[in-house]
Amino acid sequence: MNNKIIYQLLTIAFMVLSSSINAQSLLDKLDKEFPEKPIYVIAAFKTTRIGLGHSIETRKKGALEISLYNRYWNIPNFEGQRFLADVVSTRYGLDYSFSDNFTFGLGYTNHDKITDGFVKHKLLKQRKNSKKRFISITLVQGFSHRNSENTNEDIYEPITSSNKYAFTSQVLIARKINSELSLQISPTFIHKEASSLNSDPNNQFAIGFGGRHKIGSHASIVSEYFYVANPLKSVQTYNAFMVGVNWELSHLLLQFQVTNARNFVEDTFISQTKNNFNAKDGNFHFGFNATFVLQTKKKKL
Amino acid sequence: MNKLLPLFFLLFSFVDFDNNQHQFIARQGQVSFFSYTSLENIEAKNNQVLSILDIEKHEIAISMLMRAFVFKKDLMYEHFNESYIESDMYPKANFIGNIIDFDTSTKEVQTKIIRGKLTIHGITKEIDIKTTIKIIDKNYIVSGDFEVLVKDFEIKIPPILSSNIAKTISIKFRFQYKPYEQ
Repeated sequence: MNNKIIYQLLTIAFMVLSSSINAQSLLDKLDKEFPEKPIYVIAAFKTTRIGLGHSIETRKKGALEISLYNRYWNIPNFEGQRFLADVVSTRYGLDYSFSDNFTFGLGYTNHDKITDGFVKHKLLKQRKNSKKRFISITLVQGFSHRNSENTNEDIYEPITSSNKYAFTSQVLIARKINSELSLQISPTFIHKEASSLNSDPNNQFAIGFGGRHKIGSHASIVSEYFYVANPLKSVQTYNAFMVGVNWELSHLLLQFQVTNARNFVEDTFISQTKNNFNAKDGNFHFGFNATFVLQTKKKKL
Repeated sequence: MNKLLPLFFLLFSFVDFDNNQHQFIARQGQVSFFSYTSLENIEAKNNQVLSILDIEKHEIAISMLMRAFVFKKDLMYEHFNESYIESDMYPKANFIGNIIDFDTSTKEVQTKIIRGKLTIHGITKEIDIKTTIKIIDKNYIVSGDFEVLVKDFEIKIPPILSSNIAKTISIKFRFQYKPYEQ
């Protein structure tokens, strides 16, 4: 009698089990049907700049980025009464993506009177679960033109056209370690015709380290540091450092940062940051970047 | 006889010799979703959805890659995968269910309820979906639409953006099945 009940129970158990196995096998069967396509890692960084410098990201074809980068700082022992901060420097920028992998950008900084531009090309994209393609590489070539008559380097020398220009080449190498953490290393080469009155190098080498850690689905903490191998000799310079928060709100990307870098263009902030990172007046810089992404081309579904 | 029954079922559960004749597959199933708000309309389409229809067991299984959804605006694609659906962690959405009162003998268009489990963003929900089933030259076409609540699947929307994304998302689907071959 007992045995009979047990067997009946077992029968029912097997019926339930077998049906669930079958149900599962149908989904398992589907799993095997997925074509073997490489999946590229997206959004190692959500912004095209980590904070100070470029990130490996470029926008997709037809995207126009309108950006306003602001840096606020105080002048030591300043007598005047200015609103918010003693000095505000703003870079107005426009970046347009001609393809998914190629972006061209222009900008103008009002405080330094520097016009800058760059071309950015995505060379290699990291793939998901791939041992071969475990990093992304993006190349950036920047150029800048200074319009100021009295930037520090050339006060005592008549301006020639050659020392008004500077060129920056960067190889950005990044890896999205996991969904939260991404790291970037950026070897940088800067060419700038130095004044003949000092022994500053014409070519400078630097390396940038950057990272982001997501603290929510829409916010992340970012940090960047630039080490200069052969700094300027005529003036004391320091390596640029930044720590900040990136926050994205649909089409609007906001970046809040504290840094010792005053300028926006690579050749200036990497090699010409004249103050160290601390909270003293004149050294402490607050950065606020706002970028609006306008999609000029819409995909057809 | 009772003693043999479990063995019999055991055998059946593992050996599916003749499964293939009554299984049908759709490799280019279409699933699209819509979010309509006064501020912004969001629309996305996935043309690579996989589905198997078992006409003997009246069972249907659907699986899709979230990364295969195409959006009108590329930035939405990034936000969808990165910030909302978290496709790094939950790359697929799937559904497994039974077609209630499925009549495989008729050639006419039939409207049936599919009752099953829908898994999105790692959360599984019981759901009933009304579908239209057509049979054209031994090919089954299953289509329909339904709605899901964003909060049912624990997809977090920051309060500041809550007016940009609808609370209920309408989903449309269409699958065209062919006899399954290995």
